[in-house]
Amino acid sequence: MSRPATDTLLDPEVISKAEALGLHARYVVEGYMAGEHKSPYRGFAIEFAQHREYSHGDDTRHLDWKVVGRTDRYYIKQYEQETNYVANVLLDGSESMKYGSGKLTKLHYGKVIAACLSYLILNQRDAVALGMFDTNMRDYAPRSDNKSTIHNLMARLAAFEPKAQTNIGAVLHDMARQTRRKGIVIVISDFFDDEQAVLDGIQHLRFGGNEVIVFHVMDPYELEFPFMGLVEFEGLEQVPKILTRPGEIRKSYLREVEAFRTRLRDGCERNNCHYVLVNTSHSLDEVLSAYLAFRLRTAG
Amino acid sequence: MSFLNPIMLFGIAAVSVPIIIHLLNRRKFQKVVWAAMRFLRISVEQNQRRMRIEDMILLALRCLLLILLALALARPAFMSKAADVFGQSKVTGVVILDNSASMAVSDGTQTRFEKARRAAEQAIESMPAGSATAVLLASDVVNGVIPEPTFDLNLARRVVREAPLTDRATDLFPALNRAITVLQERLALRKEIYLITDGQAAGWRQLVEAQRALERVKSEIKTHIVLVSEREERNLAITELRLASGLSPVDQPLRFEVQVSNFGREDVRDVRVGLSVDADPPSDEFTIETVPAGSTRSVSLFARLRSAGFHHVSARIPEDRQPADDRRAIAVRAIKEVRVLVVDGEPGSEPRESETYFLRNALVPVPADQAENYFVKTVAGNVAELASARFDDFDAVILANVPDFSNAVAQRLQQYLRRGGGLMIFPGARVNTAFYNEQLFARAQLLPASLAPARGEADQDQKYFTLQDKDYQHPMVALWNDPAAGTLGSARFYRAFPLNLPATGATNAPAPDAGLPEVVLKYSDGSVAVAQRNWGLGRVVLFSSTADTAWNDLPVRLPFVPLLHRALGSIVQRQDEGLNVRVGSRFARRLSTELLEKEATFLKPRRTEGLRETRRVELVNGSPVLQYDQTDHAGVYEVKIADPAYELKFAAQSHPSESSMDELTLGQVNSLKTVANVVTWTPGFTLKGLVERDRSGFEFWLPIVIGALMVAGAETFLGQWFSREK
Repeated sequence: MSRPATDTLLDPEVISKAEALGLHARYVVEGYMAGEHKSPYRGFAIEFAQHREYSHGDDTRHLDWKVVGRTDRYYIKQYEQETNYVANVLLDGSESMKYGSGKLTKLHYGKVIAACLSYLILNQRDAVALGMFDTNMRDYAPRSDNKSTIHNLMARLAAFEPKAQTNIGAVLHDMARQTRRKGIVIVISDFFDDEQAVLDGIQHLRFGGNEVIVFHVMDPYELEFPFMGLVEFEGLEQVPKILTRPGEIRKSYLREVEAFRTRLRDGCERNNCHYVLVNTSHSLDEVLSAYLAFRLRTAG
Repeated sequence: MSFLNPIMLFGIAAVSVPIIIHLLNRRKFQKVVWAAMRFLRISVEQNQRRMRIEDMILLALRCLLLILLALALARPAFMSKAADVFGQSKVTGVVILDNSASMAVSDGTQTRFEKARRAAEQAIESMPAGSATAVLLASDVVNGVIPEPTFDLNLARRVVREAPLTDRATDLFPALNRAITVLQERLALRKEIYLITDGQAAGWRQLVEAQRALERVKSEIKTHIVLVSEREERNLAITELRLASGLSPVDQPLRFEVQVSNFGREDVRDVRVGLSVDADPPSDEFTIETVPAGSTRSVSLFARLRSAGFHHVSARIPEDRQPADDRRAIAVRAIKEVRVLVVDGEPGSEPRESETYFLRNALVPVPADQAENYFVKTVAGNVAELASARFDDFDAVILANVPDFSNAVAQRLQQYLRRGGGLMIFPGARVNTAFYNEQLFARAQLLPASLAPARGEADQDQKYFTLQDKDYQHPMVALWNDPAAGTLGSARFYRAFPLNLPATGATNAPAPDAGLPEVVLKYSDGSVAVAQRNWGLGRVVLFSSTADTAWNDLPVRLPFVPLLHRALGSIVQRQDEGLNVRVGSRFARRLSTELLEKEATFLKPRRTEGLRETRRVELVNGSPVLQYDQTDHAGVYEVKIADPAYELKFAAQSHPSESSMDELTLGQVNSLKTVANVVTWTPGFTLKGLVERDRSGFEFWLPIVIGALMVAGAETFLGQWFSREK
């Protein structure tokens, strides 16, 4: 089966269909892994735990050839980290995520990120849990390391629609309290919320021994503010309209956005949390590279 | 400060336009759904105040720009001297140059007209760059050589230098009025009139009206009156020359009356008056012993016209400083013969009893052996012969005591008159007054008056009435104003028909050929004795009493012959009255049909020798007429038609008033000074300095326009600056 282009995946119609979402996420990930990008595992010595006999469908890259040479029998290496982590993928499903300068909204993009990461995590034999939230967790799929879970996850992602504002900090605190095992928390959001509360939540998670990576999703218009003329801006989250001439305040706006990002990024760094800015006009490759680099760091 | 174009101030209302646009623009915007509102709000709050201030600044600049443009278009002006720092304001002016006959007076080196031209040039030279001026020539008409102000001042100067002098009279008020009208139609800060004249009183006959007109516009128009004359103490002029004889036959001594007037302050002695025919040396001269100051003397001089046709007769006196009025010429047509049909209404048994006995003898007042050669040829006829008479064979028809005649004869008489014939009527006891009053007066309107029932008794000689003995108004009898000519008052009238001229606005519609009736001669009691009326191209003279001695003794009185001849001359040479016109009047003469559409060449009088013009003989009211109206110069005009060969002369005479040396009185000059700046031209006089001193004021529109441009530039720059990204 030919691999579809990444931009085909970024089609809202595709994203809204679970099966298509899952299929495409798989293709993206496999394409990424097998294609131009080196496997971060290549050359990397992951601690060997035990053998198990080869069964049909196992990845032949993990065959222990020494054993084959000695015994003429096929055994797969199992590694130390295969079942080490639980990755909690948290997707912000608030109203502000509904914004998109084109057909693709931040939420659409966030769903794709969540889908791809879920697939990647399961593919790497980690467990994945998926949660979608606004003021609190709206939908949560508990951890599973079974690949068949992917269909359930895709369905939840495809069906989720935002309804309310956001309270990221509270959600992170809840997550920190409920998580019993150390794991990875992946937060996908635009973080249009109280930054300090967010950072407090991240800190709470970090205190619990979790690794945290944030994907800060922003639309290119939110990053560039290219509007001209006289524009009336109407907020998505019940705020008063603003009539202004964007051209004359662009620099000021960009300074504010940059300052916001800087605060968030600096806060993440202080908490040893990985920060990735995601521009919804860019390809998913950067996202996947960022996660895998992060995963590599945490595995070491 | 004042505004030359105040209506443009309404343009200030346009300042509402940018305000309205500003308000309307706030309603036209793009709508965007946006998530990152908090960053937007912070940016807006940080910049809102500044943006409002910038909007207000730009709005204010745009409003200011419109206000400045409206002000500039309204053409504000400062009238104070302080504004002179900005330089002299432009002038819109009218230069009026008097070119009437009196401007020809010389002081020995220069004429008044030459001085006036120089003054006019100075007036134009004094105008600042960018000024405009019109040039009018003023005499008794206004000649707009440059009728509307022109910015081409070189053209104005050239027109002044080339302006012609005329022999016309003077009336300056129409020119002033026209200048005022021209300037009032113009929007200008400085409006000026320059009237350059000699100050002759005759030119200010409408002085009161002129003062009123200048007073009315004094606040907006500055008038300068430049008087170029130096007081002239002496001027002798020929004020009239006329043919005193009733007719102008060939080779007969003709009497001409010459009037010499002394307009000076001193008596003049030994004034030699000469009379010439055509270009011949003087045929007669007379020396007037004294012409007292302010008075007129008449002399009679004689000349003969050697051939039939048109001649001119000139009278001269020695030239003085106004040579134009020291000569005067008239045109005269010499006639070879006059054929008269005399119709006798009561022939009688004896020649002496004939109604026309005295008429025929008076018409040919020479011995029988000379009668054949006399220019008046009479043919006697009776009433019965009227029906078959060929009237066109005669220059005049005289009806003496003719009772009446048929309608056919009346119709033929009318046709004869229409073609230029002459009719003289003497009533008597036999006339059918009902016929004369109803047919000839009321219906045909041929007679100048109706015949009222006769008054007086013819059978006695005790009671009688006489003709007037002075104040002869009509040209036919003006001769007897000269006592030397005798008096008409000596004749006795025993019976006569009172003549009733039609009242003004009579109910009968006037016949198209009938002219207005005129009183020629009155009785001493004021009733009309002789009347005349033009009819078609002819004329009718109606007497009130008999041509013989049945009712009066006029035929046996001395004045009878000259009166009869003058009456005959009046009806025979009626058209020749148009040979002498006043300067500026139109010359018109009916010619024969064969000359219709022919081109005639006019040679103007001596002063403009060589100047020729052409006109065509045109049909006017069904008759071929030659007309000419460029009679600005006094003297003889010669007219020639090449094919068929035809020549005639006519003359234009200047108005005697132009010879008057009377100038504006001191009181009149002072009254003019209340409405105008009156200066007297003297040698070395410079008009420029005088008028520049009086000029002040500055139009302010240019600095305002510059200001508006600067505001526009500021608005453009700030608009760009404010809209940059911040």
